Amino acid sequence: MADVDQRSAGVAIAAEHVRKHFGHVEALRDASLQASFGEVVALFGDNGAGKSTFLRVLQGIYRPDSGRIVVNNAQVALSSVRDAQRLGVDTVHQDLSLAPDLSVIDNMFLGHEVLRRRSLRAVGALDRRRMAEQTEAALRELSISLPSLRVPVRDLSGGQRQAVAVARAVMWSSAALLMDEPTAALGARQSEKVCELIRTVASRGLGVVVVSHDLPRILSIADRVVVLWRGATVLDVPSKGLTVPDVVATMVGYRQEAHE
Amino acid sequence: MVDAAVAEARDSLSNEVDTRAVPRSRWRELLATRASAIFLLDVLLFIVFTVLSSHGVFASLADVKALLLAGTEALLLAVGLSLMLGAGIFDLSLGANLVLSSVVGAKIINALAITGPNGTATHVGVAALAGVGGALATGALFGLVNGSLIAYARINSLIATLGTLGIGMGIAYVVTNGSDVAGLPTPLQQSFGLRTVGPIPLPALVALAVAAVAWLSVRFTRFGTRTLAIGSSRVAASRAGIRVTRYIVALAALAGTFAGIAGFIDISHYGSTVVNGHANDALNAVTAAVIGGTLLEGGRVSIPGAVWGTALAVILQGGLVVIGVSSYYQLMAVGGALILAVGLDRFTVQRREQG
Ligand SMILES: Nc1ncnc2c1ncn2[C@@H]1O[C@H](COP(=O)(O)OP(=O)(O)OP(=O)(O)O)[C@@H](O)[C@H]1O
Ligand SMILES: [Mg+2]
Repeated sequence: MADVDQRSAGVAIAAEHVRKHFGHVEALRDASLQASFGEVVALFGDNGAGKSTFLRVLQGIYRPDSGRIVVNNAQVALSSVRDAQRLGVDTVHQDLSLAPDLSVIDNMFLGHEVLRRRSLRAVGALDRRRMAEQTEAALRELSISLPSLRVPVRDLSGGQRQAVAVARAVMWSSAALLMDEPTAALGARQSEKVCELIRTVASRGLGVVVVSHDLPRILSIADRVVVLWRGATVLDVPSKGLTVPDVVATMVGYRQEAHE
Repeated sequence: MVDAAVAEARDSLSNEVDTRAVPRSRWRELLATRASAIFLLDVLLFIVFTVLSSHGVFASLADVKALLLAGTEALLLAVGLSLMLGAGIFDLSLGANLVLSSVVGAKIINALAITGPNGTATHVGVAALAGVGGALATGALFGLVNGSLIAYARINSLIATLGTLGIGMGIAYVVTNGSDVAGLPTPLQQSFGLRTVGPIPLPALVALAVAAVAWLSVRFTRFGTRTLAIGSSRVAASRAGIRVTRYIVALAALAGTFAGIAGFIDISHYGSTVVNGHANDALNAVTAAVIGGTLLEGGRVSIPGAVWGTALAVILQGGLVVIGVSSYYQLMAVGGALILAVGLDRFTVQRREQG
């Protein structure tokens, strides 16, 4: 985990007027959001509103058709996941975050492997001991306990897998952490834990964007709320005073309101 | 009452780490693998054939050498294919690649070495080196084409390599006009193809070295981990920032290079190409890899399994001949072993899932 405590001011991650279409589908028409360092932004929207697509644009998986992206106070052009990773952005995806046949340790370091020193480095030999130590430390810090770090992730429960995915994204993000339905596979207790975790991560100075359908829980920990409606940002306000019915009304009823 | 029970259950549960999904000890894990099972089967068959063969000739040094030599090319293909399967891609064209590489290698050698009327040849060393280079380059290029079709043109690997299988064989036939390239200088056989180091044929040593390096790569390197990650979940791998297309091209080229090595071994073993002798090689490689525990779906590779799986086919082939049973039965035996191995695995996995 990198030093983020100093960078308490400014924009961790932001997007302005992002458009993205797939064939005939306009997944994003005019999507914007901004998360400052230390801030938790909740991104709400109906099924198919474009939330996952939006996060993937911010992670460099999709290139936007138009629009501006800012990471760490600077406008950037993300042409790959690695670009975003290099800038300290990492994501917990809604699905398919982990390689089921690999161990917890190998998954935690996938794409960030630690290599042995000297000549063994040249042939890409892994330093699994260091990787194991750092994995243990990272999981301990988030009070995630797993039966073993060496079993294939396939053998873990859905919630345990989700915990690993969250821990991995936290480990590799130093500017912004993006989370797509981080609590979807979790029970009540684990969901509370993830919420605590989100606050912890933000208090360490990261900007956090959380997509969730668990409105009450996420609303209670968010600093700002952004609502996406059919690919466009229709609400971007501080969460203070906002209620769940307000949010729901915007999520599903925007069209009626707009035409009134 | 209920509250108390709930509280008690919570207290006793919450402080305990869930220990159900823990790995078995190293030894138990090793013994439980398919590779170990096939290894034991190999040993068993070896003993059975030795006992059944007259005066135990099956275990004689000459026969072991023949077995090793017979398995050399198959092992090279099986190792390359295993790596590809690890990333969830397939190669049906490995046999055609072997043939084309051997033809190119043989043509180069015959063009460079000047063979006299009494069979003596000059410039064999240079010619052989150029032949190795030509065979390996052909193999690598063939693999590169496969990899590009799979990764960039996004053609299903089965279809892509089915296509290149036909194209590769076609080119080999056109180049040779349908007849084998024969009359390679005999020093080629003496100094490599039929040479032994102690009891082990030199080509077999090469194949075993390739297998050893592949095993180390799968187990202990970033290359291996990422390969398995791609086979395990291609989307997850690319989301983790892995350049999936590059890996696929590299893996296909690597397997192709191994086929090129096998092609060179083929000509230096027989002193001629064997264009029509490799039609089933790619499928045999699949059999060897899968019998040994490599998953067709990707994500799990067993190089030792490929070694023992190759050995199984070779031992059955040689053993049945030695005890006077038609080697046609070898085909049936290997086929049966494949179905049995994979079928038993399904059975045990199901049992585990049912608790
Ligand atoms: N790769 C793609 N190709 C084509 N269409 C896509 C692609 N990805 C997303 N879409 C379309 O874009 C729209 C937005 O999808 P997206 O997954 O971003 O929604 P979401 O807000 O995350 O929904 P949910 O709450 O169900 O997760 C949908 O209509 C979807 O069909
Ligand atoms: Mg989504």
